[in-house]
Amino acid sequence: MPLDMAKYRAVFVEEATEHLADISRALLELEKDAACSDAIDQIFRMAHSIKGMAASLEYGSVTELAHRLEDRMQAIRSAGRVPGGGELSLLFRGLEGLERMLAVVRDTSHAPPAEPELVRALMSPLTTAASDAEPKKKAPTWPPRR
Amino acid sequence: MARILVADDASFMRQMIREIVEEEGHEVVAEASDGVEAIEQFKKYHPDVVTMDIVMPRRSGIDAVKGIIEVDPTARVVMCSALGQETLVQEALQAGARDFIVKPFKPEAVTATLRKVIEKED
Repeated sequence: MPLDMAKYRAVFVEEATEHLADISRALLELEKDAACSDAIDQIFRMAHSIKGMAASLEYGSVTELAHRLEDRMQAIRSAGRVPGGGELSLLFRGLEGLERMLAVVRDTSHAPPAEPELVRALMSPLTTAASDAEPKKKAPTWPPRR
Repeated sequence: MARILVADDASFMRQMIREIVEEEGHEVVAEASDGVEAIEQFKKYHPDVVTMDIVMPRRSGIDAVKGIIEVDPTARVVMCSALGQETLVQEALQAGARDFIVKPFKPEAVTATLRKVIEKED
């Protein structure tokens, strides 16, 4: 039984647009509190959901980028917070990448390729640098160096 | 014909499962968009089968399976998983889920799994 994919494409665009708005709000929350577990969970779930919908419609590039963002959020969830060192801006870039792809899907019904550099960056190991919100402690000064 | 509860936080997925199972002659008696609602709807409608997403807000699909099995140890729950969630699927099966289907859904696979779960004697 073939499914009416045109109908599901419209549902995908509508629902993914809402999810991306949720991700944007959650990222703004993480700017204020890098350890906000609700925001981290929210982005993980939204990326997972976009991945599932895109895969159903065979939008491989959207599936891949959403999958990389989902995996990144899983690593951040395990770490307990968004580390500093540009991690938050990478997540914003992931969001913007998905927004651009979704705009093309909305206009043309076709998904453009994912940006390879962005995909690579999302796959790079998570830095363990301290969060921007939590300045690094000074090295202990005792015992004094001779 | 079976009475089915569809639990998934994505409206897209709920619509897709509904279309597939209704085409097969089953009835979707209720939908749920998170794990808490899934348990509530199960208590209210006592469906023959539940299709349960794993990643959902408030309570995960695995937590919801545990909650449903507490209410009715004979409940038939089929997990909806994505590739890469094998460990979570195993956890759900240990918690009492009967079987699983993998996203992206293939209508024939969904109907075959549901048929198997519905026809199997307790």
